[in-house]
Amino acid sequence: MKKALFILAVFVSSAFGEVDNEATRDVLERLALAGKSEQTGVLAELAQLGDPFIKEFVDAWRVGEVFSYEISDTETIVLQRVSENYRRLSNDEVIEIPNTESDKVSKIRPSRSLRRELKKITDTIDLASPDVGTRMDAALKLGLSQRLEYMESLQSKFEAESNARAKAAFEEAINIIILANHQSPEELNQAVQRLGELKSLPGRDQISGIQTKAVEEGNSELASICSTALRQIDNRQRTIERWGNLVRGLSLGSVLLMVAFGLAITFGLMGIINMAHGEFIAIGGYTCYVMQNIFASSFGEQSAAYQWFFWVSLPICFLVAGGIGYGLEKGLFRFLYKRPLESLLATWGLSMVMQQLFRLKFGAANVQVNTPDILIGNFDFWGIALSYTRVFVVAFAGFVVVMTWLLLTKTNLGLYIRAVMQNRNMASSLGIPVSRVNSLTFAFGCGLAALAGAALSQIGNVGPSMGQTYIVDSFMVVVVGGVGNLLGAGISALGIGTVDQFLQPTFGPVMGKIIVFLMIILFLQWKPGGLFPTKSRSMDD
Amino acid sequence: MNVFDSKLETRGFIVTMIVLLFAIPMMNAFFPENSFFHISSFQLSLWGKYVTYAILAMSLNVLWGYTGMLCLCQSLFFALGAYAFGMYLVLHIGIDDVYNTPLPVFMDFQGYTELPWYWAPFEYAPFAVVASLAIPGLVAFVFGTLIFRSRIRGVYFSIITQALTYALMLFFFKNNLELFGQSYILFGGNNGLNDFKEIFRANINSAATQRWLFIASVVLMLSVYLLIAWVLKTKFGKVQQAIRDSENRIRFSGYSTSTYKLLIFTACAMIAGAAGALYVPQVGGINANEMTPAKSLDVVVWVAFGGRGTKFGPILGAVVVSLLKSFFLRAAPDSWLIILGGIFIFTVLFMPNGLVGLPGQLKPWLNRIRGNKPLVSEEASSPSVP
Amino acid sequence: MKLLKKLALGLSLFALITSAAKADDTVKVGVLHSLSGTMAISETSLRDILLFTFDEINAAGGVLGKKIEPVVVDGASDWPTFAEKAEQLLAQDKVAVTFGCWTSVSRKFVLPIYEKYDGLLFYPVQYEGEEMSPNIFYTAEAVNQQAIPAVDYLLKEGYEKFYLIGTDYVYPQTTNLVLFEYLQSKGIPVENIGGGLRRDASGEVISAGKYTPFSHTDYQQIVAEIKAFAASGDACVINTINGDSNVPFFKEIAASGLTADDCPIVSYSLSEDEFRSLPTKDLVGHLGCWTYFMSLDTPANKKFVSNFQKWLKKDAPSYVQKEGRVTCSPMVLSYNGVYLWKAAVEKAGTFDPDEVIEALWSGVSFDGPGGTVKTQPNHHLTKNVYIGETLEDGQFEILESFNNVYGEPFLKGTFLTEDS
Repeated sequence: MKKALFILAVFVSSAFGEVDNEATRDVLERLALAGKSEQTGVLAELAQLGDPFIKEFVDAWRVGEVFSYEISDTETIVLQRVSENYRRLSNDEVIEIPNTESDKVSKIRPSRSLRRELKKITDTIDLASPDVGTRMDAALKLGLSQRLEYMESLQSKFEAESNARAKAAFEEAINIIILANHQSPEELNQAVQRLGELKSLPGRDQISGIQTKAVEEGNSELASICSTALRQIDNRQRTIERWGNLVRGLSLGSVLLMVAFGLAITFGLMGIINMAHGEFIAIGGYTCYVMQNIFASSFGEQSAAYQWFFWVSLPICFLVAGGIGYGLEKGLFRFLYKRPLESLLATWGLSMVMQQLFRLKFGAANVQVNTPDILIGNFDFWGIALSYTRVFVVAFAGFVVVMTWLLLTKTNLGLYIRAVMQNRNMASSLGIPVSRVNSLTFAFGCGLAALAGAALSQIGNVGPSMGQTYIVDSFMVVVVGGVGNLLGAGISALGIGTVDQFLQPTFGPVMGKIIVFLMIILFLQWKPGGLFPTKSRSMDD
Repeated sequence: MNVFDSKLETRGFIVTMIVLLFAIPMMNAFFPENSFFHISSFQLSLWGKYVTYAILAMSLNVLWGYTGMLCLCQSLFFALGAYAFGMYLVLHIGIDDVYNTPLPVFMDFQGYTELPWYWAPFEYAPFAVVASLAIPGLVAFVFGTLIFRSRIRGVYFSIITQALTYALMLFFFKNNLELFGQSYILFGGNNGLNDFKEIFRANINSAATQRWLFIASVVLMLSVYLLIAWVLKTKFGKVQQAIRDSENRIRFSGYSTSTYKLLIFTACAMIAGAAGALYVPQVGGINANEMTPAKSLDVVVWVAFGGRGTKFGPILGAVVVSLLKSFFLRAAPDSWLIILGGIFIFTVLFMPNGLVGLPGQLKPWLNRIRGNKPLVSEEASSPSVP
Repeated sequence: MKLLKKLALGLSLFALITSAAKADDTVKVGVLHSLSGTMAISETSLRDILLFTFDEINAAGGVLGKKIEPVVVDGASDWPTFAEKAEQLLAQDKVAVTFGCWTSVSRKFVLPIYEKYDGLLFYPVQYEGEEMSPNIFYTAEAVNQQAIPAVDYLLKEGYEKFYLIGTDYVYPQTTNLVLFEYLQSKGIPVENIGGGLRRDASGEVISAGKYTPFSHTDYQQIVAEIKAFAASGDACVINTINGDSNVPFFKEIAASGLTADDCPIVSYSLSEDEFRSLPTKDLVGHLGCWTYFMSLDTPANKKFVSNFQKWLKKDAPSYVQKEGRVTCSPMVLSYNGVYLWKAAVEKAGTFDPDEVIEALWSGVSFDGPGGTVKTQPNHHLTKNVYIGETLEDGQFEILESFNNVYGEPFLKGTFLTEDS
């Protein structure tokens, strides 16, 4: 009876265009305020509803966006914080909390056990999610639990599913459950066979276990079915790994490219060994941090404007580092052109000074730079996952390369830069303002380093010594590519990244890196000037 | 042939020899602790450490100041020598009271029960001493053959040496090496080798041992100095300096520059290794931190600050910079990096001949201030002060 | 010449007077931490809390009537420098006690020096155990006060697969060795322990785990492996990655979509201090295990936290970072260490290290912000252990607590008896 009324209420309220998941919201509110003993009952109700809003709410609940509010002496309601506002959970209305009442609002959080129970519910809900990827993930999760109770819903979803990939995932899940809950040997054989045909990676461990048991029991038919299935699955595994390595190599290579590009310009075009290059990378990272704080205090962390802090920081990083680079060039590097080895020393001293200044200003600890919402998540295609932040780095690296190329080939400044690089004195005689070109080029190189730092803030640390992690790699990339050659730097960055990723699974991260270095040393035997050595008639170049 | 360039140098050498070899150890041994003339064991081992740094700086100076090769991995050879000798020391700690085995503790931790074959020979002192010279020498030889053969030089050479030290640093930081499904223990991993007890059957921490180590370091330093001074006067030394000044010309004159460079590179690596072997018992430990690129850059800074291409410069540089660093670490723990960094920048910009060349640099200005002689004439102030 | 003589006389007189004056009302105490270099990230906070503690004690009258005079030296993340500075503190400054070190390397380099000079060092950081020097007191968590309780909790929650990942050095290696034995003794089969197995010459499995070097940043492959490992739903990750490599690791985990409910990660080197630089929203629900959490709801802790904040605002020197400060276990263990030393000195009635060590042996206790801590004859502490879950603001919510756990550093091989 209650249910009927309740359905009627839902129908009526939806007919009147009110919040259509009012029923769900009502149950959620009760759950949030329930004591431990009442939770099980309310959870059972929730399980019946199957509303995707449940997932949304649970996610918010986990990260502290849900509050209880003693609106009066007898009533407590639940509020959800969305953007800057508190919205009443039951009807999604915005509620203003007067300052005097702020102590009546308190954060509520789900306990661990409650979260686990909720996970079961949200996993089942995900089966009906509009997003294909979510459906597939949910199906496999339930399948791997190998619980018979999920069979029914999986079966029905399988039949109703229209998307081919999702259908395959459901079939996989069903068969994995059968592996542990089969009723006859034929059913088991069939399930194993089907999983092999589907090339089910999640099911591999189970099948391998079944195979071992089959061998022990002397069941040769099952054993051979298992080995065929395993072979099919392993083939798929290998292909995925290969492509995965390639993609990851691309991602690592683009990181190397970003950090090395600025160096290629200052080193290659100007002959300065800038050991403080890493610190310019750090400038980029710290600028993002500062902008993040400014935006947080001006607009508030929840606002939409805050999400723009990262994009706004990018040009600012470039300008800040470029400005500092320009000043340093005029003040310090100008004296070091004829003496490349001395520039190494002076910049090393500079690097020490800059690192300590970072420590004094921002603290010795690393600082946190948040990821804008738009970059949270990952691409998942055919088993290979790549986070959006890494995709961003790849795209950004490409963008930087294109912009640099345009600068160098299509602008006057680029023409001057190339001229000065080829023959400084002659360029000066032709009226090119050599010293200004130098300063601008150096500033440009430093700006690029800062952009790299900004990109790196999304995938790694921002701290006083963040530059030190990349300095040796950057020099390697530049030397392998051929000093002064940007295309070479690009190719060598991608090459080194890919080789590193291919070596990693077999040798582990450390040995992989060591082997990469040894390979570079051997490579330089073959091509001492790098991939694209500078061609010149002078003996000493 | 007289090894020294001037009377000043000869006298300086003899005085140094007397002070360091006799006076200081005696002040440590014979004066009681509270006396003004007593030099504590702590100070002695500290100075012994600085002496090994001076030897390291001298070895780099031969490479950079006299042959024109800026090697950014000299600390690597120093560390390899230190590791070789350290392995001997760590095998003589004795039976460990927790695990009851003569194996080094880090091997016990990881579950190993016997000494691997590549560790076993280091039990013998003669082998360890020879190894501390041979291993850096071998690494330098192999690496050098590859590099010099393809005529890699200048800035490329520097960067490649940096890659070498970085790669080996990563290797020595590892605890084990996994090869073909089996795990091989390495050299102490991140903790390195330490907690030594005995050296040549004497207690390593006793004042007497520390004295002898100090004396040995000084002997090595003085011998290396004599060797360098002597070589500079031979034909070999002249060719070496010619390589620095114009490699192509000397090559076209018929000299096989790559052979010369290889020989010098290997010899300097061995000298650095010997310095390392004397360093490790005085400091009490070694770990792969000594192989970081930053440490090799420190050596370059010592040589540049003291005076590159001079005999005395690297010694002065190593000692003065180490003293400055040690002082500022205490006096200004929050800004010592800025101070030292500033000093380096200043040195590079305004003191191209280092400390040793400072008098020469300042002479014209002093003369001008005193109103003695015009600015231009006395430009014979070559940086050949020893 | 006369002038010189006068000057010399004057100076020595001055030195005599000031040193005499000093000798009477202060006691020198050494602070030996890395304030620059890679370890500065973690160790600067310890210097800060020590300065706070000294000020607090001095305000209350000092130790045995003498004010503490700190001698702060920077170890610069360089181990020979640690050795040199330690020896300087002992030989020249003749400090009564030193509070310092973080990494095991630094401790191993200074250990022989403290034994040679018969000094006293208090070491506040969780470490791998298997050590007991007569001159060092380890106020930090031993493996059985951190790793084991956390694993017990996970086993209780029903997790059956454990992926071990850490930085490649002794602490994670030893912790994982001990955990490997422990898990097996609890019935977890070898296939359920992930990260890669290590075999010795005879082919026997001697440990497990994936190890990355310090400052490693590329966790793509490893996270992909963890995701596959955790697909079955009952896996968790034991994380002994040290230092700043945790940031790229957790960023990669967040990007992969793994949540704490799918596969919880218990980290042993992440405290509230490190959370300041981590994307905490992505870490909600992951676990930590320490002998102190800033969110401990006890009057002692509340007072401690507020006093520290007050000190930061008013009395802290200019170079101390004042914004966004938190307190964490290593900091509190440093704080406890100073008070334990004070109590031992008062019990022994002298600053002489030998007698103070004896007093510590006999058992001294202090009611710290994390609960009562008591010294043990094996130079470790008995203290409370808490298991907490990360909240989105970088604090921990306490899930379980164990009172008065005895610290036992020698654990290797002790679990084998159950199986073999």
